[in-house]
Amino acid sequence: MKINGEKCIGCGNCIIICPVQAISFNEENKAEINRELCVECYVCHRDADCPVKAIRSERLKWPRVIRNPFSSVVATHKLTGIPGRGTEEMKTNDVTNRFKVGEIGISIEIGRPGLGTRLGNVELFTVPLCKLGVEFEERSPVTAIIDNENSLIKKELKDERVLSAIIEFKIPHEMLGKIIELIRKVEKNIDTVFTVGIISRILNNDVNSILELLSQHNLEAAPNAKINLGLGRKTF
Amino acid sequence: MTHSLHRKGERIDLAKDYVILAMLSRGINDKHADSRERLKKVGKILSNHHPTNIMQEKLWNVSPVITAAYDDHKNVRNALHKIKSEDLGISIVVSGLIDEVQSLANEFGFELNSIHLSLGTFGRVENLPLDEYLEITTMCGHHCISVQSITHYLEQVKEGKISVERAAEILAQPCVCGIFNTSRAATILNTLFKKKALE
Repeated sequence: MKINGEKCIGCGNCIIICPVQAISFNEENKAEINRELCVECYVCHRDADCPVKAIRSERLKWPRVIRNPFSSVVATHKLTGIPGRGTEEMKTNDVTNRFKVGEIGISIEIGRPGLGTRLGNVELFTVPLCKLGVEFEERSPVTAIIDNENSLIKKELKDERVLSAIIEFKIPHEMLGKIIELIRKVEKNIDTVFTVGIISRILNNDVNSILELLSQHNLEAAPNAKINLGLGRKTF
Repeated sequence: MTHSLHRKGERIDLAKDYVILAMLSRGINDKHADSRERLKKVGKILSNHHPTNIMQEKLWNVSPVITAAYDDHKNVRNALHKIKSEDLGISIVVSGLIDEVQSLANEFGFELNSIHLSLGTFGRVENLPLDEYLEITTMCGHHCISVQSITHYLEQVKEGKISVERAAEILAQPCVCGIFNTSRAATILNTLFKKKALE
């Protein structure tokens, strides 16, 4: 994203709206984008309502171009086919049966809420997870940028800054303790925030079994959650 | 993405914050002749049951999901009742208080498929803004709402230029999915406004 300094009248609309505070006034009182902080989410371009149309998108080159699908809500990743940086995960589980009874899905969203992250932080999780033998979601944008052998991020992408990157994988129930231990360890070393989500199948409309399992690991889930109602079908 | 998960707030506030999401599954049920029409039918139902926000209708023709936010349990209940009676075969996900969604499921005879729980935020949480701000920003699942825009529009409210309701509507604009609950945002803004007035 770029701002044409000759056109800018210094209204500050784009400064107010930037989700990662990457835009500020320069010495001439013109809005200027900090290229390092900018995650290419395009929110300023879409919603700042610049009165002189000074904000313009640019043709992003590799590796900077990777910032866009990990930051923009309207960018559709070719692997997932859906807008945004996640996957269908449990949202269509009644149709896909991606998460089966006895399995737990885990989503770790690095950089959320709002602080953003360098893609290099993904390795803090993927490398040890790979050693534990977890199965990463193959259609995830994160899986597309790690190598198959040891789950390292491609070297040229490590310093690219994005709004968030979601690591998605599934494990058998009995492995949860090891994953929580790993999360606690990474938490001490990471320079940003991350959220953790747990996906489980529901049998007989009873969610207590997964809540009890979490409780055994001294974990408490938020009182609100996403629930798939089981109304989807493969064919109509 | 994890989308409507991780919406922050106390239980009493979350009782006025629901999201309903309808989704086609890529490569499985999105290629039938009437897949799109079925999804759009759900969109119409969502729209007819008083959402506080909903994905723009022009996107219903291209997006695999349609989403809407609600502040009233009764409207969610009525929307789900209608969706069930239409039997469209589209995946439906409700984000809200677990026990209340369970109770609706039991009432309508849904066989719940799966749950996505939030364990919260880890890492450098000391760098995050105040909770009231996070309660607003986390209502956009892609985090398109900036903290400084909240401060800016609160200032406009303070100066009497706009109402908290209008501020909530403006804040909602970058949330393309339409899951930013404007009614709940206005309530939080009002609390923040009163706090500021006392400072």
